[in-house]
Amino acid sequence: MSLLKVVGLDKSYHSNFRVLTDINFEVDTGEFVSIIGPSGAGKSTLLRCINRMVEVNEGKILFGDLDVGNLSKKALRKLRTNIGMIFQHYNLVPRLTVIENVLHGRFGYKTTLQGILGKFTEKEKEHAFFLLEKLGISDHAYKRCDQLSGGQQQRVGIARALIQEPKLVLCDEPIASLDPNSSKVIMDHLKAITSELNITCLVNLHQVDVAINYSDRIIGLNQGEIVFDGPSQMLTEGRINSIYGTETRQFITV
Amino acid sequence: MEVANIRRKRDGRITIKAGSKAEALMVSTLMILAVLTMIGFLLFDYSGLELKKAISETGNNLKTMFLEPALTHFSWGEAIYQVGITVGLAFLATVLGAVISIFLALFAATNLSNEWVSKVIRIFVAVIRAVPTVLWVLIFAIAAGLGSEAAIIGMLFHSIAYLVKAYSEVFEEVDEGTLEALRATGSNWWHIVMHGVIPSTLTYLMSWTFLRFEINFSVAVAMGAAAGAGGIGFELFMASGFYFDLREVGMITYAILVVAIILEIISTRLKNRYFPSQ
Ligand SMILES: Nc1ncnc2c1ncn2[C@@H]1O[C@H](COP(=O)(O)OP(=O)(O)O)[C@@H](O)[C@H]1O
Ligand SMILES: [Mg+2]
Repeated sequence: MSLLKVVGLDKSYHSNFRVLTDINFEVDTGEFVSIIGPSGAGKSTLLRCINRMVEVNEGKILFGDLDVGNLSKKALRKLRTNIGMIFQHYNLVPRLTVIENVLHGRFGYKTTLQGILGKFTEKEKEHAFFLLEKLGISDHAYKRCDQLSGGQQQRVGIARALIQEPKLVLCDEPIASLDPNSSKVIMDHLKAITSELNITCLVNLHQVDVAINYSDRIIGLNQGEIVFDGPSQMLTEGRINSIYGTETRQFITV
Repeated sequence: MEVANIRRKRDGRITIKAGSKAEALMVSTLMILAVLTMIGFLLFDYSGLELKKAISETGNNLKTMFLEPALTHFSWGEAIYQVGITVGLAFLATVLGAVISIFLALFAATNLSNEWVSKVIRIFVAVIRAVPTVLWVLIFAIAAGLGSEAAIIGMLFHSIAYLVKAYSEVFEEVDEGTLEALRATGSNWWHIVMHGVIPSTLTYLMSWTFLRFEINFSVAVAMGAAAGAGGIGFELFMASGFYFDLREVGMITYAILVVAIILEIISTRLKNRYFPSQ
């Protein structure tokens, strides 16, 4: 059975403008899937529908055997613990330390009181340090996040997602604000998440070459519709042009 | 060649003001006020005024007040005790107000609360804020009688209205992405508030609170005089309005000034410590 199944998804923020139209796809456990498309195509919106950060208008999203649209508040929190999320702007709490930010990934498992008091078990703290070590930033554990470089902050973001022990990680343009070196570090870590931990990754990207290099499969989105869905080697120049529109691609190489 | 869109004054020089309506309104209001003030001075009743004598007497009074200050009706120890009472009144009103305001402000911040709850709280505190503190004290005095209780409740009321507005605006500045990231981990509202919102805004909250404390100190002085709340304000009222003791008025003014300066120093220190870059 597939891990994630999206069926006939429609989404609009305002009644007169459809952002996503009839989206259908399935993702299996351990797949590394990139979603590419011009800006405004609806990539971010699609990710946010999956963990119900925004409500969908039509269609169904099945995570395992759960219908995401039909969950109670409590069940939705539980679902979200299974889905990590990584953002373009890292979205950490800048004034708190690295280790505190990583442990925020455990709140989904806590009662209100445990969470308010910030009660984390020794095991959770050890796990946090283990992840930081693995990502190569354990020596910054007690630094405030606003003192870190972009690449380091994004690794904190990855640790915060991984400590949730998720089955799926959603990444919304994780390298769009990073230089090429940090971008490579981040993409390598994301790839390792899938290959070593068997966690599924769904990554929004706007660099086509990065998508081709790293993913098993690419979904091309244009104006809210899927215009390509297949293994990355099938993404020919002609198909890239159909995703991005012919003219723009000729002048700007992404 | 003349570039399009350049605006010129009547004499042909280029203007750099946008020339908005608000600006024009502001200038004309100030002009009208200036004219009214001049007319007002011309319409005063100047009979019986000997300008020379009046000026020298005023100078004399000021000299007695500020160059020869002295305490006659109470001792130094008593003065410090009275200042302490005033500071205490301000402190109590501020701390109680701050605690209550934090919770109300969380529900008033549009990014953390329901639209309607937020609107109701906002309108409510706007109304409270529109009425001056002194009036609230006098209103509560109907139930509690003139004195420190009415003064504290009145000050508390106005402090809450002020701080809820300030705090909720601070909360609304918290990066939407940070809140979204926490929500995506499965955090509930309290987790997000305690570990996302409060840590991000703590220094601003403290600044606003301290600013309110400074305001409450001066209000507490006034309440001592106007509402019999006690403290140094009441002594000031007695010295000036009852004993006509200029020297004591001078001394008390100095005492208040000293406290105000100390508060100012502490607030600057706090700011430097928590906003080192600014
Ligand atoms: N919160 C929102 N409210 C209203 N419109 C939105 C919102 N988020 C995105 N949109 C609109 O939805 C469309 C798709 O946006 P987005 O999903 O961010 O695209 P992408 O991530 O591919 O650039 C855009 O036209 C955008 O203006
Ligand atoms: Mg986007």
